Amino acid sequence: MSVLNVTVANVEQITDVVKRFTFVQENGEALPKFSGGSHVVVSMNINGRTHRNPYSLMSSPANTESYQIAVRRQDNSRGGSVFMHEQVKPGTKLTITYPVNLFAINRLGKKHILVAGGIGITPFMSQIADLNRLGADYELHYAYRSAEHAAFRQELEALCGDRVHFYVEDDGSRIDFGDLLSHQPLGTHAYVCGPEPMVKLMLLTAKHLGWPSNHVHSEQFSAPPIGDEFTVILTESEKEIVVPGDMSMLEAMEEAGVDAPFLCRGGACGRCELEVVETDGALLHHDHYLSDAEKTAGNKILPCVSRAKCTRLVVNL
Amino acid sequence: MNMAFKKETFRDDYTFTNSPEAIRRFPFPFDKDEYMYSVNIEQHTKGVPGSVFENVIDLDEHYVAECEDRRITLEQDPDRCIALPHMMDAQWDMLELGMESLAQDFPEHFQLTKDGDKWHWINKPLGIDHTFIFGDLSTLPMEPFEFIGRQLQGDWVVMDQRDDDLFADMGIVTSQADWSLAFDAGMSFKEWHGPVPQANEMGIFERALKYLLHLQYGSPVRRLNWTMTVNPRLDTSPENYPVWGPDNVSVTADNVADKVFLRVELQTLFRLPRSNAMAFGIRGYLISVRDIATYPRWAKRLHRVMTNLHPDLSEYKGLTNYRQLVIDWLAPMDDGADIGEGTHPE
Amino acid sequence: MERGYRIRSKPLYDPLIWEEHATDHVVIAYAEGGIGVLKLFQQMTPKEPIKVLFADDEHAQRSYHDIISKLVDEGLQILDDKEGVLSAVSATLDECVMGTQFYIAGNEDFIWAASQILKSAGVDDKNIMKEQCGSLARPVYCVHCKTIDPEVHHNVYTCPGCGRHLFVRDHFSRRLGAYMGLMVDAEEPGNIPDVEEIYP
Repeated sequence: MSVLNVTVANVEQITDVVKRFTFVQENGEALPKFSGGSHVVVSMNINGRTHRNPYSLMSSPANTESYQIAVRRQDNSRGGSVFMHEQVKPGTKLTITYPVNLFAINRLGKKHILVAGGIGITPFMSQIADLNRLGADYELHYAYRSAEHAAFRQELEALCGDRVHFYVEDDGSRIDFGDLLSHQPLGTHAYVCGPEPMVKLMLLTAKHLGWPSNHVHSEQFSAPPIGDEFTVILTESEKEIVVPGDMSMLEAMEEAGVDAPFLCRGGACGRCELEVVETDGALLHHDHYLSDAEKTAGNKILPCVSRAKCTRLVVNL
Repeated sequence: MNMAFKKETFRDDYTFTNSPEAIRRFPFPFDKDEYMYSVNIEQHTKGVPGSVFENVIDLDEHYVAECEDRRITLEQDPDRCIALPHMMDAQWDMLELGMESLAQDFPEHFQLTKDGDKWHWINKPLGIDHTFIFGDLSTLPMEPFEFIGRQLQGDWVVMDQRDDDLFADMGIVTSQADWSLAFDAGMSFKEWHGPVPQANEMGIFERALKYLLHLQYGSPVRRLNWTMTVNPRLDTSPENYPVWGPDNVSVTADNVADKVFLRVELQTLFRLPRSNAMAFGIRGYLISVRDIATYPRWAKRLHRVMTNLHPDLSEYKGLTNYRQLVIDWLAPMDDGADIGEGTHPE
Repeated sequence: MERGYRIRSKPLYDPLIWEEHATDHVVIAYAEGGIGVLKLFQQMTPKEPIKVLFADDEHAQRSYHDIISKLVDEGLQILDDKEGVLSAVSATLDECVMGTQFYIAGNEDFIWAASQILKSAGVDDKNIMKEQCGSLARPVYCVHCKTIDPEVHHNVYTCPGCGRHLFVRDHFSRRLGAYMGLMVDAEEPGNIPDVEEIYP
C-alpha cells in the first residue's frame, strides 16, 4: 500500500479536547488530490507498537499543499488520540496512507442534508468545499454539547453562510430528525457522522419516513476495543498468533509479519474481512460493515476492530 | 524509446502491420494451455523496460494512426464519446491523468507545463499546442474528456462510484470488442457485464466489484483480456456490425493466418482523485495469427487454448465461424511438447 | 446458451405491494396496468395519502377506469392517454417529498417512460416498484440508427428507422428504456431466421 511521509506543520488547540493538525509532505511536494469526505490512516509508533487510526481530511480538496485533520482526545481508549495530543508537535514526522473516500457525496443528488455531531463535523468540512465549488444545494446541521465545544463554528459560518444550523445540547437544542427529514424534495440525500446514538436515530427516522436506504449515508469509524487475550490460527499461512488484550487482531497479525489487507482500520470498509473457520468461543463484532445477519451467522470477521472471546479462533488467511 | 509513428489504416485497405519489435513486445495473454475467466488482477506498477507495462499509459508505433482512426469514427458517430452531466470532475481528472502520465513517460513527444491553473500542453506527434485554464471549460476547444480522449490510444470508460457499485457514466469508445457505449452508458457494473457468459456464474464480477470499490488513488491495477477479430479493424462496434459483420464469414484456410487477429486488451484501472470515480482503460493490441507464429512457443500455446476453449466463450467472443480454421493452421506447429506455464515468447 | 444463464441487465418485475414506511403513495398506470392497480387495491389500503394517475388505452377493448373510479375515492386522476399520464407525473413531482413511494404498472415501454421522468427528479429506478402488465411487447433500440420501436412483438423485426432486420437481445439499457436490436443478417445478408411472435 502506498504511503506518504508527512511532517506536522502546525498544531492548533480548537477546544479543550480537540486539536487540529496540519501535515505537509516531507519532500516538499503537494499532497495527492482528494475528494470531499476522504480520510487517511495515520501511523503512530507508541511504545514500540504501530498504531494506525483513521481521520477524515477536513481541509479543502482545492488546496493540497497541506492536509488537515482534527483529533478529539479520548482518554479511555488505547492511546492513539492521547498520543496525537501529547506527543505530536510541529516538526513531528508521521506516515499516512493515500486518501480513501468511504463517505462521498452522491453526485446525482438534487440536495444534500449533512448532519454532524461533535467531532463528526470533520468529513463535512471537505465535502462542503466540494459542494460549494459544484454549486450544489445543501444544508448543514451541526450539533455539539456546549458553546466551548463549538469547534470550527466561525469557519463553518464563513464556508456555508445561511446553509448551516447549529444545535447546542446544553441549551436544550436538538436536531428534530422527524421534522428535518419529512419535507425534503425528491432526490435529496442525507449524510450523518457523529456519535453512534445520533447516527442510529437518524438512520431509523429516515427509514420510518420512507427514505430509501441508498439515499441515507453514514460514516462511523470504531476504535479497536480493549478485550481479553486469545489466539488466532491462520490456516493458509499456518501461523498461531496471540492477540493481547490491548491490541487488535489486525495489529497482532501485522506484528507477526502477516501481510493482511486493510484500508480504513475503523470497521467501515470491509477490506480486511476474513472468513472464520471455527472458534471455541464467541465473536465480538465492533464494525459497521457486516450486516446483522452476517454478524449472527458468525463466519466473517473484520480484524481491524473486532475480536473474539475464546481461546482459539481459526481464520482463512 | 525511439519511436517512428506509422502511417497505416485500420479500415478499408487495412495497411496496419506490426514491426518485429511490436511483435516481440506483444502482450500475449495465455500462460496455460486452457483459458477460463479469472479475476487475474495485478498492481499496475512499472514493468520491464520495452514491455507494454513499462509506462502508466503505453504508447507505441501505432499511436498517430490509431488517433486518426478514432477521429474518423467520432466524426461519423459523436455518440462514441459520452459524459453524463455529473461527471465533470471526472472529466478534469482524466485530462490530468492523461497529460501528466504522457508528459512524464514520453517527454520527447509530450510536454506539460503548469503555472498555477494555467496549463500549457504540447503533443508533438499530433501537432497540438494549447494553453488553457484547468477547470475552465471555455478555454478548451471541447469538453476535457473528449479533448484528452482523442489523444490517447485505447478506449476509456470512467465509472462513478455510488451505492456500493460502479456506473459506466462516461466513456470514449471507438475500438471496442463488439459493445456499444451509447447503449451501455449509465449501466451498473453487473448490468454492463451482463452479457458475459460463465463469468457471472463463477462469481467473478462480485469479487472484482468488491475489489474495485476499494481501489486506492495512487495504486492502479491491470489485467489482460482477449478476443479475436477478422482484419485489423479497431471499430468492431455493434453500431457498425453491418460493415464488419460480413468479414466474419470471409475467412478461409488460405487467408486465415493473415486475416484473423488476436486482439489483446491491456485493461488498467485508476482511482481518480477529485471525483472518486474509477477510470478503466481498455487498450487493444492486434497481432495476426501469422505474426504470432513468429514464436513457436506462442503458436503451440494458441493452438491448445483454441482447441480447449469453452463453446460459450467461443460464441461470446464471436470466434465460432473461424476457430477451427485457426486450429487447423496452427496444428502442424504443435508437437504436443510440454511448454510449461508463462506467456514469454521463447 | 446453456440453461441457468441470464443476462444481468434484463429487468425483472414484481407485483406491486404497498410500501409500509412510505409517507405518500403515487401509483402510475396505463392500459393493462389497470390490473396492477386493481390488484394493489385488493391489499389493505394504507392510511397515507394516495395518488393514482391512470389512463386506459383508447384503442383497447378492455377499459379499467370505471372500476378504478369505484375503488379509489380520493386522489384519482383519470387521464386521456399515455402522454396524459406522463405529463401528470411531471406535474405532480414538485409537490412530492422524500418518503413518497412510486408504483408503476403497464407494459415495458410505459414502465420505463415513467421511470425516466422520475429519474430526472432524482428518483432511482431501484426504489420504484414496477409491475409488468398485459403485453410482453418490448421497447427496442436499433444500435445502428438509434431509433426506438416502443412495442416489438417478434424475435426479429424491421427497424422503422433504417429498415434493417434486427434481432432482439435480452441486454437492456435503463437509460434508454429499451432492449438492444442488432442486425440479424449482417454476416450473410438475406439470411433471416424464422420470425416468431415471442413477446405477445
